[in-house]
Amino acid sequence: MTSGAVAVRASEMGEAERRELRAARGRGLVIALLGAGALWAASGAFKVAAIFSFWLLEQGGAAWTITTTVGMLWLVAGSAAIIIGGMQAGFGARFPWRQSLFVIAPLYVAAILGALLDGQVANMTGVFSGSLELAVPITLGALAGILSERSGMLNIAIEGKFLVGACAGAVAASATGSVLAGVLFAVLCGMAVGYMLAWLGIRHQVDQIIAGVVINIGAIGITNFIFLRVLAKNTWLNTPPTIEKIKIPFLSGIPVLGPLLFSGTPYLYVMLALLIFFSYMLFRTRWGLRLRASGEKPSAAATVGIDVIKIRYHSMLLAGALAGTAGSYLSLSSAGSFQMGMSAGRGFIALAAVIFGAWNPVGAFGAALMFGFSDAIQSLMSILGVDVPPQLLNSVPYIVTIVVVAGLVGRVRGPAAAGQPYTQG
Amino acid sequence: MRLELKEITKRFPGVLANDRISISVDRGEVLGLLGENGAGKTTLMNILSGIYRPDAGEILIGGTVRNFHDPHQAIDAGIGMVHQHFQLVPVFDVVESVALGAETVTGWLGTFGRAAARRRVVELSEQHGLDVDPDAKIEDLPVGVRQRVEILKALYRKSDILVLDEPSAVLTPAETHDLFKIIRGLTAGGTSVIFITHKLGEVLEVADRITVLRRGAVAGTVKPADTSREELANLMVGRDVDLLVSKGPAKPAGVVLSVKDVQVMNDRLQMAVKGVSLEVRAGEIVAVAGVHGNGQTELVEAIVGLRTIDSGEIVIGGENVVHASPRRVADLGVAHIPEDRMRDGLIAGMTVEENYILDSYHRAPYSSRGWLHAQEVAAAAAQGVRDYHIQTPSIDTIASSLSGGNQQKVVVAREFSRRVKLVVAAQPTRGLDVGSIEYIHTRLVEQRDAGAAILIVSTELDEVLAVADRIAVMFDGRIAGILEGASATREAVGILMGGGE
Amino acid sequence: MTVWRRTILPALMPVLAVFTAFVVGSVFLFLTDIENLKHFPGDPVGTILAGLVNIGKAYSALVLGAFGVPAKLAAAMGSSDPKVIAGAIRPITETLVASSPLIFTGLAVAISFRTGVFNIGVEGQFIMGALGATVAVLALPDLPKPLLLILAVVIGTLSGALWGFIPGFLKARTGAHEVITTIMLNYVAAQVVLFGLRSDFLKPAGSSTPISKVLSTIVRVPLIFQLPAIRLHYGIVVALIMAVLVSWFMFKTTKGFELRAAGFSLMAARYAGMSAGGSIMLAMALSGGLAGLGGTLEVLGTVGQMSNDLSSGFGFNAIALALLAGNRPGGVVAAALLFGALRTGGGLMQVKTGIPLDLLFFVQALVIMFVAAPALIRSIYRIKVYSADGVTPQ
Repeated sequence: MTSGAVAVRASEMGEAERRELRAARGRGLVIALLGAGALWAASGAFKVAAIFSFWLLEQGGAAWTITTTVGMLWLVAGSAAIIIGGMQAGFGARFPWRQSLFVIAPLYVAAILGALLDGQVANMTGVFSGSLELAVPITLGALAGILSERSGMLNIAIEGKFLVGACAGAVAASATGSVLAGVLFAVLCGMAVGYMLAWLGIRHQVDQIIAGVVINIGAIGITNFIFLRVLAKNTWLNTPPTIEKIKIPFLSGIPVLGPLLFSGTPYLYVMLALLIFFSYMLFRTRWGLRLRASGEKPSAAATVGIDVIKIRYHSMLLAGALAGTAGSYLSLSSAGSFQMGMSAGRGFIALAAVIFGAWNPVGAFGAALMFGFSDAIQSLMSILGVDVPPQLLNSVPYIVTIVVVAGLVGRVRGPAAAGQPYTQG
Repeated sequence: MRLELKEITKRFPGVLANDRISISVDRGEVLGLLGENGAGKTTLMNILSGIYRPDAGEILIGGTVRNFHDPHQAIDAGIGMVHQHFQLVPVFDVVESVALGAETVTGWLGTFGRAAARRRVVELSEQHGLDVDPDAKIEDLPVGVRQRVEILKALYRKSDILVLDEPSAVLTPAETHDLFKIIRGLTAGGTSVIFITHKLGEVLEVADRITVLRRGAVAGTVKPADTSREELANLMVGRDVDLLVSKGPAKPAGVVLSVKDVQVMNDRLQMAVKGVSLEVRAGEIVAVAGVHGNGQTELVEAIVGLRTIDSGEIVIGGENVVHASPRRVADLGVAHIPEDRMRDGLIAGMTVEENYILDSYHRAPYSSRGWLHAQEVAAAAAQGVRDYHIQTPSIDTIASSLSGGNQQKVVVAREFSRRVKLVVAAQPTRGLDVGSIEYIHTRLVEQRDAGAAILIVSTELDEVLAVADRIAVMFDGRIAGILEGASATREAVGILMGGGE
Repeated sequence: MTVWRRTILPALMPVLAVFTAFVVGSVFLFLTDIENLKHFPGDPVGTILAGLVNIGKAYSALVLGAFGVPAKLAAAMGSSDPKVIAGAIRPITETLVASSPLIFTGLAVAISFRTGVFNIGVEGQFIMGALGATVAVLALPDLPKPLLLILAVVIGTLSGALWGFIPGFLKARTGAHEVITTIMLNYVAAQVVLFGLRSDFLKPAGSSTPISKVLSTIVRVPLIFQLPAIRLHYGIVVALIMAVLVSWFMFKTTKGFELRAAGFSLMAARYAGMSAGGSIMLAMALSGGLAGLGGTLEVLGTVGQMSNDLSSGFGFNAIALALLAGNRPGGVVAAALLFGALRTGGGLMQVKTGIPLDLLFFVQALVIMFVAAPALIRSIYRIKVYSADGVTPQ
């Protein structure tokens, strides 16, 4: 009896572990094969130069250049992949393979980039600061998504809030001549839209997906309508003052990093500050604890006297404010005026960043940077005249998101109660 | 602290849930609140914890009237609820779960004082012998420990009135025993405890005083020393309860279901059924007894084809069904009454008629070559409604507008409408009133006598003892022992349920 | 009482929703009429009256644009001049032309919603279907016309079905939320179409705009009337047939029964021995197929040329439409005719009064909102509700 029991237990332990080990070996093999591919690519590419340059102090000034060959890049990437693949197969489930992907991926990106440029000089300061600028609205939108979904409200209306924020920001800034007023009005309108979404979802128990669709369609309609009926004829309402880039004293003087990180628009700094702020608020404060509880198990929060409904309303208002800010960035900082449909799917990319970043602000920022990077690379390519179909790079964020939600590179788990209506009492 | 509820009345549309209920509990006392499902216990406790507001009546704590508008006020008044369905956030750790809603904060951002909270959790856990790891994630904890986390939550809020709602539903007899020890420790320290249950044995063991609720009103208050099981049962249901089902002796014939060395994993890839062997013959009722969560759910799902097994063999009517789909299993003549009938057995948004053909719509006479035959379907459904006395305005009525009991009857009628060789019924009488329980038991015995093999899974000892010809007790994914129904005693089954030999 | 509850009320709610949405839209029209509002401080009453007149003009243009001018129709009755007849019936035929893709996309959304899957990707499936058909036509231009047409329709439908099947498959196999995947696939589809339209295979030589070679010279869906400037083709007939087929399929077949069961409760469907994953995949493929067929008929019938703006939001309109229709095929047809009329009439309204067509998007959003939150409408019109079938809920 006892020996039987022990045998059973051993086999049950073994089964789960065996599965893990099999999966790990498979993964290791795939990674190693990738490495082999890179080495094969390297063999013919040692004659092609790969030159990356960075501005030292300011754009157009002196540059710092790294020169190597494409073959070398492939060699490094391939070797790294083979080593990591081997370690994965050897160590099994204990090996942190997801983290190791973050080592391999940039090496491959560098190698592919070098191969595509085929000897041309790539200015990476432009690419990186471009990524960062593009990441601003996406990160802000993702923060909005994270706050609402962590509180239990599915939010697919970020796109709509972007449009409303962009339109409101442009109009208010043009009318008052003050950028700040524009941002403020964009925030207010974003909050109004956020409130609307909460009101439909909570008060009227409208399915949160439907409510999101309503807001998105309504936002397209209303902003297009305003543009065509009002702004097209009254251009003075759509010529906002532009936002100047600000060089942060001292910090902007750091070589390489200065022009990259500390010479951006105020939005960049605000976004970074909000990122740190909300990371802290979500995971270290009472507010965050309660918000997360509302999104994971609202009934548990309610039984200890937490007003789940109020928390959800508040977080939707905050989300609206953040998405409105992001919207104002589109019309005030990057384009200089409001255009129809100018969000161009960025709101959905923000949604993708939420998922890709596993509902964590810093993770979402990472995802936003990645999406921004693929955008920036694309403009670099078109400037240098490299023939890569832009549609390919444009699709990257969407395809990556599908891969992530399908759990093909490890499952991410969202807030358990997101999307479910909650009724108190 | 003395707590008193006076003349509490609460109406819901069509139901008088609480009818002038008055109960009281003294400092350091355990009040057993006994009643059937639907007797009004849960409504009363929701009023006490501030979730509902009573239509009339008042709550007195230490002699002063308190009216709760929200759970916070009840908590502040010292009332700690341990809900039947644990109210813990699965992804939080113990410290976060316990402190949630009563956090101490520092700084203008409201930073959560985790270190201090953790210290108190450890301190309380040690003081009351709760043995809880403060850093464990809730979803990784076994149910018994989760319950202690719930108790910790109440203690953390300095509750001096602790309400336990059906606390033993998820516990083994041994764990229940430990819980009683904890309760006694708490009352010795001056805490008042309200212990809600529908199990007679438990109130007699733990309570200092017992109040029995029946149909939303107080049926009587007694002391354990002055009463008996029978009297309590009478108070509960208002008539002599016939705990025995009238049935003749079983005439077991050939083996219909044979389960051999079956291992099944649960959703989290842990082995839930760890090598179970079991046979059910035509003409007998085999009950799988055991505390919820010992692998019964997974075993049933494996038998009816909803879950793939890891190893072993399941044979139904001579056919190996290890890789069979639920459809194939049903086609073999297996009726399945699922545990959560409202969720899994019935489609609330579809009509009675559509629900009646839910698992046989693809067969003659209901359809042929992919086309449904409306007339045959309607005729069969109407017949089922008549045979099973289902109260519904018409067969076109949406199922969700039927009462709970009638919804269950739709499921039973449907499952028994086919020629049945094997009945797999999980918790067949959960949530039903005594009348319906009897009805279902009678139908099961009828099917047995008609030559079907019956496998029921139940956590209710009384039910198991009443209907089963043989009792297989499951513990920790294994069969701890098999007893003859006629000779089995409550004690013998109880010991096996706790894993004892 | 029963008639009120069972028949009138369910039909009344969508009507009230549309009506209310237009009232709100009017308020909005008034508030954005800057020219008129400038007079408000001096002459508030006159401004309001002028505003009302403007709104009346706009909406009457909308109606005339959608259904035609009565006098012209009367004149056409007695006329044999094809030009006169065409001019008179053109608004109506244009409404039907605009409605038919909406019927397809509306049915697509309705099937998926009925199965409990939120197919937000109809837009993408629509254009992928059109792209598939375009490729087929340009790849085999020398095939006999009827054969080529049938082949193109089949390939277009399958392309849409595939684009719908992918998220269905991912949901069934990995649990990936279809709302996210279909949204993402909409964008991927847009990129795929752009990519295709930039290829030498599809684009006319030397062109840099994302528009394909002309297909209508090779093959096109036959027209119903041989009248000048009347574009109405047999796509509308196919659409109506599809509505009947979908209705039959959903309510009279066992597969349809399975889809509806899965739509209400996946768990219960599984317990009843149905394959929940199978239902999801089937529903998504059917949904995508219908959308793809719609796209095919649009490109081969109405437009005759593939472009990246072939779908002017047909897929997104469909969501509003299906909700308005309560996901019933008959309702979808009715709602599609309404939306088609709005689009066509909106065109005339835009020309005559300068009010942008986009107003209708806003109105649509309001319509969905009112349909999805019936309590809003009830509270506006003080409609009392009784519980279903008179049984008191417990």
